[in-house]
This record gives sequence, structure tokens and C-alpha cells, in this order.
Amino acid sequence: MSNATVVVVTSGKGGVGKTTTTAAIASALAKEGYQVCAIDFDVGLRNLDLIMGAERRVVFDLVNVVRGEASIKQALVRDKKLNNLYLLPASQTRDKDALTEEGVEAVISELRGYFDWVICDSPAGIERGATLAMRHADEAIIVSNPEVSSVRDCDRIIGLLDAKTKIAEDGGRMPKHLMITRYDTDRAKTGDMLATDDVVDILSVPLIGVVPESKDVLKASNVGLPVTLSDENSPPAKAYQEATRRLLGENIPVTIPEEKKSLFGKLFKGRAA
Amino acid sequence: MKFKGKSFIAIVLAPEQPFDSWFSELDRIIERSPGFFIDRPIILDVRGSNIPIDDLEQVLNGLGDRSIRVMGIDGISGTRLKDGMPPSFGGGRLTAEVDVPEPDTQVGNPDKGTHKEIATKNRKDASSGETDSAPETNGHSFAKSLDELERETAKQGDSSIVISDHVRSGQSILHPDGDVTVIGSVSSGAEIIAGGSIHIYGALRGRALAGVAGKDSARIFCTKLDAELVSINGLYKVADDFDGTLRNSPAQIRFENETLVFEGLN
Repeated sequence: MSNATVVVVTSGKGGVGKTTTTAAIASALAKEGYQVCAIDFDVGLRNLDLIMGAERRVVFDLVNVVRGEASIKQALVRDKKLNNLYLLPASQTRDKDALTEEGVEAVISELRGYFDWVICDSPAGIERGATLAMRHADEAIIVSNPEVSSVRDCDRIIGLLDAKTKIAEDGGRMPKHLMITRYDTDRAKTGDMLATDDVVDILSVPLIGVVPESKDVLKASNVGLPVTLSDENSPPAKAYQEATRRLLGENIPVTIPEEKKSLFGKLFKGRAA
Repeated sequence: MKFKGKSFIAIVLAPEQPFDSWFSELDRIIERSPGFFIDRPIILDVRGSNIPIDDLEQVLNGLGDRSIRVMGIDGISGTRLKDGMPPSFGGGRLTAEVDVPEPDTQVGNPDKGTHKEIATKNRKDASSGETDSAPETNGHSFAKSLDELERETAKQGDSSIVISDHVRSGQSILHPDGDVTVIGSVSSGAEIIAGGSIHIYGALRGRALAGVAGKDSARIFCTKLDAELVSINGLYKVADDFDGTLRNSPAQIRFENETLVFEGLN
């Protein structure tokens, strides 16, 4: 039996790309051959099943499992393409209060036995849903857009990660990674956007990847595929693959889309963001 | 059963003869800032004055007329008090003066009221007496325990704390007894509140409030000034009013002649 690394994908602010990132990282890890489970903690506003194209196969959900109405094995949905990638969907009909701390702990510790990686998609906000999602994580991926409100919310979340999680309460420190998404190369050039350096400086968290704003992300979610599976050569897919290798411990420099613009331009003419 | 200790800063009013002019002074404060006494613990200090009980009653009635509710009386034996009067109150340790808001300058008029901290858990008697406390009193006052078992000398106000981490948005560090040193940045949306000075080895992007217990000599130091608000002893400035030249550079902020002085640190 393996013992999984539990990663929470969180941000505080909504719409920054947590779910996209969860799906992309989970599927990229699965492609590397790991047993991966993605959990959707966004009870009441579930999305991860749509992004992963599993919405038509959901029978039981996280709330059913937490309440003991279904077993984890009944609730897990296997990915269409990768048979080592699973989804534990959120409930659309309940609200976040349906989750209990003990229940979530039990679910995560059981999943640790089955998988190598458990990726938790946190809901937006700093309330119960978000704190439950991060509570039992071993590592965190902080998703931020390069703009001030998103950065401040991330800062708040980092404070919670260092205070409200199991690791923090045991006196440890949760390793954190910063993922900057929706990075717009044109706006970066004109200075309408925070530079990646500024975001890293403000948050003081090591950068794991910079994902460019791209139509590929939208296209991928419309067909119900994580962006890393729908078009492996698109710039966002490349950025997520790179981030995944870094999550696995490889020491490779982060590609800032701006710098590679000419190269991307050459390689993906007419498609690059 | 557990007893919790909690400390509050109380406003201590020391009535002075003649009471008429004392009350008119009080009225002036209330007129200037009507909320000043609302929801604050208020102690009447009659220590050393040997006030006749009828005069005390007159003072209490006068305060009652102004909706100032006294929670306790310091410096009088409980047996002398009449029924219905607030209880006698022992303990308490002088801190610096409370600022009375002045609409024009935002800086206090130090003639009214001293700050006293009431530590319910570890009761300490201020032996430094009733004299108007200088800002430094806090730092050098001896405190003797009321426990009668031991006489401890605690140097209050000399305590300083070190935060060896970033202070993130939404976090608040409150240390009314002394200096706060942060090794790391203070993020936008975070705040540091210190009785003494604030030292930040990193960027100050949030709020820093130094000398909150009335210490003019408190300063704020940071290696990168990008604050939302800085304040020393109640006098504050928001980012819009800063001198732009020091932005993002090492700076210190001090209190001088009722203004905040910003200086580069080089």
C-alpha cells in the first residue's frame, strides 16, 4: 500500500483557476504513471467533474462518503482516458456544512492508502469548505492571478495554511508552491499587470509555474478534458507539465511566458495566447 | 473550572477640586468626541485625595449624568462606600496616558486620565503611585504582587517580541507592552500594533501602529516602506499622504512636534 502525498490547490479568490489547475496537475501526474485521486471540495458548486469530463458518471459524492452513505470505492469515478486517475466528486445538492472534520479526515486517510497523490480542489473563500480542504494536506499549491486582489487573498490563505492546518498545529510548516495563472503576455508587456517577480516577492512562496492566459483552457473545459490532456502542446499544458515535474522534485527553471514569447510564437503560430 | 485572565486598558479618572471646573473639562472632551467614554472600562481614582464620601457621591452622580459608568473605585476602602456605589478596586499598573482626541491635530491632550492596565490574572499594584505618569513610567515601574506571598519586581514594558516569519494578510500582531520585531514582510491587509517601536526586516505593506499606549518616542523601522498606514501614538498617516521619495526604500518613522517624520535609512 502506498502512502499518498496530499496536495491542496487553493487561492482564496474565486475564478483564478483552482479547478483547472487541479485537473491539469492531477492528469499530468497520472500520465507520469502515478495513482492519482482528485477530490472536489467545492460542495454546492461542483465543477471539477465537468472539467474532467466525468459529470455523467457521478453516482455518489464526497458528502455521501463523509456521512457513511457510500464507500469511497463506490464514489470514485475513473477517468475516461487514464485508468490510474480518479475523481471524488463534490455534491451539488448539499452545502459545505454537510462536511464534518472527522469525516474528511477519515476519507483522506483512507485515500492515502490507495493512491500516490491526492489533489484537493479547494472552494473559494476562507470559510469551512476551504479550511477543511487544506486541513489534512501535506503540501499546498497557491493559485494566483497576477493582480492585486488575488495576491492579497492568497496571502490570507497562506496565513491560514500556517495556522489552521494539521501540520501547522503539530508545529510543522506546510511546503507551499505558487502557481501564477492567467498570465497575459500582452498586458505584462504594457505593465497593466503585476510582474511575476512582484507576486513572488509579495507572497514569498517559491514559484512552481506560470500559466499563460489562453483559449486552450476554455476549449479544454468545453470538451471536458484537463488542459494537459486535451492538447499536450498548448502553452498552458506545457506550463502545467513543467509545474508537475517541479512538484515531483525536479529542479528546472520556471518558464515565464513573456520571455519565451518568440519561441512559443514560432512553435504555436496562431494559437499562442 | 478554569478562570481566564484577560487584561484591559481602563481609563482612569482622577477627580480634582473644584469639581465644577473638572466636570466642565470633562464636558469639553465629551463634546469633542462623544464616543470617547463609550464601551471603555472606567475607573475612578481617588487615591491619596481622602475624598469625603459625600463628595464621592456627588462625583459619581455627575458622571452618571454624563452617562459615564464607573466600573470601580481605586484608592478607597470598600467599607467606606455606600450601597449602590461601584466596588472598590485594587491592583492595576500604570501605563502611559490615554490620548484625548483633538479634532484638529489628532493628538491628545495629556492632562486627562491615565491609562491603567488591570491584570485580573496576575494582579499587580502600581507602587509608582498616583503621579501623572510620564511615557517612560510604563517601562520602569515596579510592580508588587498583591498575593502577599511574594514580592516580585517585574519590569513591565521592557518586554519585546520577535516574529520570525511573514505576517500575512488578515493577521494581526498585538503587543501593547513593548517592541515588536518582525523578520519577514508585513503584507497588505496585516497589522502590527505595538506599545513600543516596530522593527520590520522586510517590506512593510500593511499597517504599523507603534506607541499605542501613548509613547511618543516609539518609532517604526522597515527595510522597505510600502505601508497602507503608519501610526505613532495615535497620530497616523495613510499611504496617499506619504512622501513618495521613500517608497520602497528603507525608512524610519518617528514622532516629532506633533507630526510624523519620515526619514530614509542609509
